[in-house]
Amino acid sequence: MVKLVGIAGSIGEQSYNRMLLEFIRDHFKKTVDIEILDINDVPMFNEDEDHNDNPVVHELARKISGANGVILATPEHNHTVPAAMKNVIEWLSNNVHPLNGKAVWIVGASYHTQGSSRAQLHLKQILESPGVNAFVMPGNEFLLSNAKEAFNADGSLKDARTVGFLDSVMKKFLTFMKVIEMMDAPDPKNAHEEDMDSKHPVNTTVEGVDMNDPEWVEKAAEKTHAASGGDYVKLDRGLLTVDQLNYFLNSMAGELTFADDNNQFIYYNHNAEASQMLAARTPDQAGDPLSAVHPGRVIEHVKQVLYALRTGQSDVVSMPAQTGPNQHVMHYYRAMRDENRRYRGVNELVIDIMPILKYYLAATGQKLVKDPDAVPMSPITGLDAVTGASAHSTPSTDATSGASASTASAKPEPAKDPIDMDSLTGASEEAQPGYTAAENSAPAQKPESAPESDTDATTGASEH
Amino acid sequence: MKKFVALVGTNTAKSTNRKLLQYMKKRYADDAEIEVVELKGLPIFKKSEEVYIPQQARDIADKIDASDGVIIGTPEYDHSIPALLSSALAWLSYGIHPLMDKPVMIVGTSYGTLGASRAQAQLRQILDSPELKATVLPSSEFLLGHSLQAFDDNGDLKSATESQKLDGLFDDFLEFVDLTEKLGHSKQIHEQEASSTFSWDNGTTGDDK
Repeated sequence: MVKLVGIAGSIGEQSYNRMLLEFIRDHFKKTVDIEILDINDVPMFNEDEDHNDNPVVHELARKISGANGVILATPEHNHTVPAAMKNVIEWLSNNVHPLNGKAVWIVGASYHTQGSSRAQLHLKQILESPGVNAFVMPGNEFLLSNAKEAFNADGSLKDARTVGFLDSVMKKFLTFMKVIEMMDAPDPKNAHEEDMDSKHPVNTTVEGVDMNDPEWVEKAAEKTHAASGGDYVKLDRGLLTVDQLNYFLNSMAGELTFADDNNQFIYYNHNAEASQMLAARTPDQAGDPLSAVHPGRVIEHVKQVLYALRTGQSDVVSMPAQTGPNQHVMHYYRAMRDENRRYRGVNELVIDIMPILKYYLAATGQKLVKDPDAVPMSPITGLDAVTGASAHSTPSTDATSGASASTASAKPEPAKDPIDMDSLTGASEEAQPGYTAAENSAPAQKPESAPESDTDATTGASEH
Repeated sequence: MKKFVALVGTNTAKSTNRKLLQYMKKRYADDAEIEVVELKGLPIFKKSEEVYIPQQARDIADKIDASDGVIIGTPEYDHSIPALLSSALAWLSYGIHPLMDKPVMIVGTSYGTLGASRAQAQLRQILDSPELKATVLPSSEFLLGHSLQAFDDNGDLKSATESQKLDGLFDDFLEFVDLTEKLGHSKQIHEQEASSTFSWDNGTTGDDK
């Protein structure tokens, strides 16, 4: 459900603007989840004292950041917004900027005829200043005048036409929020324009922390006052603590990596040393732009995968990496999309499918034989360009991985070559004497002779 | 000699508006006695049933009452005046009306080029509201941009152009104060309106809550 936060602009008084917000919350509760935030305890803003450590301000910032949009209900004091409302905005435009890029709907109630018209205009100007940088819904002014007579005893609005207008504006605001949420979506015109240096921040990007900092995770967590440990996180569908989320993700049957829509590598399920991983990652790499975790020769190919996922040409791209008689490591790149179908990044799963295959054969009493009628296909799926151009690839996995070995051993690919799966997987074919079925459940051993940067050419964090 | 109260619109220690007001105090010492008054420490404005006004606001109101005019130095926060100044103006119009028909001169400084232009424009609108009804020096703007570089070590304005402009405006303000003395016709009505229409219900004197 769409999540909004509402702030009533005055403090310490019986407020018709708060009543209006409460009515909006209750009236739309079937379609929209609205939380009304309390600003009574926000201290007077002082730029000398804004050291990013005020818990009341943090909580407000966190809730606003987590919302799809904001409703501000303002009375009018002296032809302007109440100082209490302005004060909150000052805190939220100095050290932290949770309103940046956020959709805002302004409403207002007043005792007399004006319905806070002038305060609403000032508020718009304030919200559009560069430090705040919110997106205020244009038009659709909701001015509730004569507020004392406007409500029934149960807090509902008396006038059906007013409620009808509110309905129509909420409908527009829901659309407006979708449009605004698309505003910062990176929009490369072709694969080559994919920004591997992550220089197009999105609304989840943590600003002010160097992406290449080895302690990016710690610093970004401090900056965002991230939930941790025993803090609960509400999910679709369930409720877990951050610890429980880690147990869960770290015990997944595969290596998971999250790169966001700004092509920033922001997460992997860290349950093994790099040397024990199918696709090596190290803790210091989290936060890096994708360009920093890929060798230059594969960058253009990675861009093609990202572009296919971002633009919806594919929902999944898959390709083999280390392959051999006892191991067939697959990389699956899945597009992640939000409720508006906006691309929000790539979910990469690295998993050895050979144990699954062997189990299946053993359990069903079958064995593998060559298929003389096999139609040649690329082992890469989800990239049209590749499958079309891959007739040169021979169908058998052996031949594929054999070709990889030669790629890995030598020539750097010119960046703009058409994709060919060898350079994408960058994999190597080597005998894997240590690998036995008995070790299936342990992290698969890396082929000793494969250079580390090659085993993971496409998939992320192997550049050292 | 005229007495003016100069309100520092922000609470930051590094305010260049404070510097500007201190410069004016020094420069115009022969023409006027300017007292630079801090707003720092005022709580955020809120209404209460007992119409409580903090002592600091009452003290400022007394100073304004005893003065011939008010100079407000405002920075610009988010294209408008700081919440602190907004709070101060709300306290100074909450059942008390020290600014009513009081001559006011607005000045503003900013680190960038614009010199708090939008905050000054909003401040004029605010001072025009029914609870305040101050008499603001018309057709005058003193917008001091790049204010971090604007003063020398003695606290004087470096730019002769700027200081001459300010001199001119201040001379106008002195004349304006005398002029407003003659604008007494609506004064009594304003004050009557302010005290008769005030009630807890509408919180202030007739404006919208």
